[in-house]
Amino acid sequence: MRKAWLIAQREITWELFGDRGSVIRTSLFALLPIFLAVSARGTGGGGQRLDGALLGLALQAAFIPALTGVGLIASTFTAEKENQTLVPLLAAPIGDFDIVAGKLIGMLIPVTATCGASLGVFYVVSGWLYGWGRIARVLPPEIIYALLVVSFLYLLTAGSVALIVAARVRTSRAAQQLAGLVIGLSILVTALLGAGAIALFEGWGLVVLGVVLIALDVVALEIARRAWQRSEVIARI
Amino acid sequence: MIEMRGVTRRFGGVTALRNATFTVRPGEIVALLGPNGAGKTTASRIIGGILGPSEGEAIVDGISVRDDANAVRARCGLVTDQPSLYERMTLRAYLAFFARLFDVDGARERITALARLLLLEDVLDRKLGAFSRGMKQKAAIARALIHDPRVLLLDEPATALDPEMTRTLRDLIVSLRADDRAILLCTHDLDEAQRIADRVVILQRGAIVRIGTPHELRNVGRPRFRLEAEGDVGAAAAAFARAGVSETHEHAGGRLVFRFEADDLRAATPALLRALLDAGIVVLALAPEQLSLEDAYVTIVREARE
Repeated sequence: MRKAWLIAQREITWELFGDRGSVIRTSLFALLPIFLAVSARGTGGGGQRLDGALLGLALQAAFIPALTGVGLIASTFTAEKENQTLVPLLAAPIGDFDIVAGKLIGMLIPVTATCGASLGVFYVVSGWLYGWGRIARVLPPEIIYALLVVSFLYLLTAGSVALIVAARVRTSRAAQQLAGLVIGLSILVTALLGAGAIALFEGWGLVVLGVVLIALDVVALEIARRAWQRSEVIARI
Repeated sequence: MIEMRGVTRRFGGVTALRNATFTVRPGEIVALLGPNGAGKTTASRIIGGILGPSEGEAIVDGISVRDDANAVRARCGLVTDQPSLYERMTLRAYLAFFARLFDVDGARERITALARLLLLEDVLDRKLGAFSRGMKQKAAIARALIHDPRVLLLDEPATALDPEMTRTLRDLIVSLRADDRAILLCTHDLDEAQRIADRVVILQRGAIVRIGTPHELRNVGRPRFRLEAEGDVGAAAAAFARAGVSETHEHAGGRLVFRFEADDLRAATPALLRALLDAGIVVLALAPEQLSLEDAYVTIVREARE
């Protein structure tokens, strides 16, 4: 795994934060939770309706960077294929899984950090606008933790699937389109499963859903490991 | 150092390389020649441990690609026609990254030494995206040499380089051979192959059609001769016909130059020379003539196609 970390480190240092454009694009995510927090002002009536709106917007603040991250993961290989930079990497003494894991970790770490930062900004702005007591009641530590874990698990599952699918295409545009499909389908499936899980067994269904998500992660990663093979990838360059 | 033993590689229903057998010894440059799609890149990728063979064995420094592809990759340096660089990185960071991937000890010193060798010292801390095409190709060569590989695989490394840079690259390749490296050069550039290759392997539609030194390949087919003469061209041509020798001729530098083929010059010459002298032609020179590698290549590929 040492070489996987090396690849991940390079991705984070040079591709995500290696130029001014990337930094500016990433910092735009700081604006998103501010808009979300301010938009809760439109909720009339205050009280429980505002609490509910804040919870829903907090979910979006944590989730939207994760959705973007799936697109990033999908295009990470195709961008290298397009630029031909994948060939020297494939010619280096690294296992196939180290390359996949390195790429995935290199995206998971910054995107998960962005999810956390986005939620943090939302918390601070909402606390300032609607009162610290209210936000502490709506978003206790266990809810914040749950939101981050769900974002991470979603990112890992959808990202692994997007990675497998995108390894088969040649262009970043095709990869992004496939990622869009994965995002759309995965949200639909997650929402349906979530609604069903809440209704079942007095909320214990949610716990089952969490376990299912983790199992899906393991399966998706295993498929990614098997599907992503040097010979297959190089044949498509 | 490199041994290809009956290597076949298929992609679905397409056979990119068919039963390829050749070797590259330490300190030898072997040029892999062939038209587009002949299987040159596939061969170099199999040797480099990126692709597995469908059949046969590819052995590098005693290690089979099938048995330990990682160990094979650790022994090979690959340069492709595209520099394929991470353009947001500085040259120093880029080389350091690959040095760590290849587990290079003393990476800092190695980077400095390579930068000095390739005249890149002044740009070590510049981003690769700002480099010229020639400098990018040099950076790619530095990457390929970072782990001091025993085997160098050069897949059309001079593509899109200007003549001066091409010459520099050629000198560098020759100097690398001196360190007992085995060098496989996939190229379209016949002039380059003729200048630096010790042996040439010609591929056509995935199959090897000829292996030999450039000298051997240039002597392909019937022996050729060149005869320089002065006199009437019609009379000379008639003399050739009388001697039973078919020829082609041209005027060059005020002389008549005839080219002809003969299996046995000793048998053909007396009759031909007598016929020419009888026709009043002054023979100035008669010598065997070698094909250029380009002519030899075209002849071999055409024969293989037929």
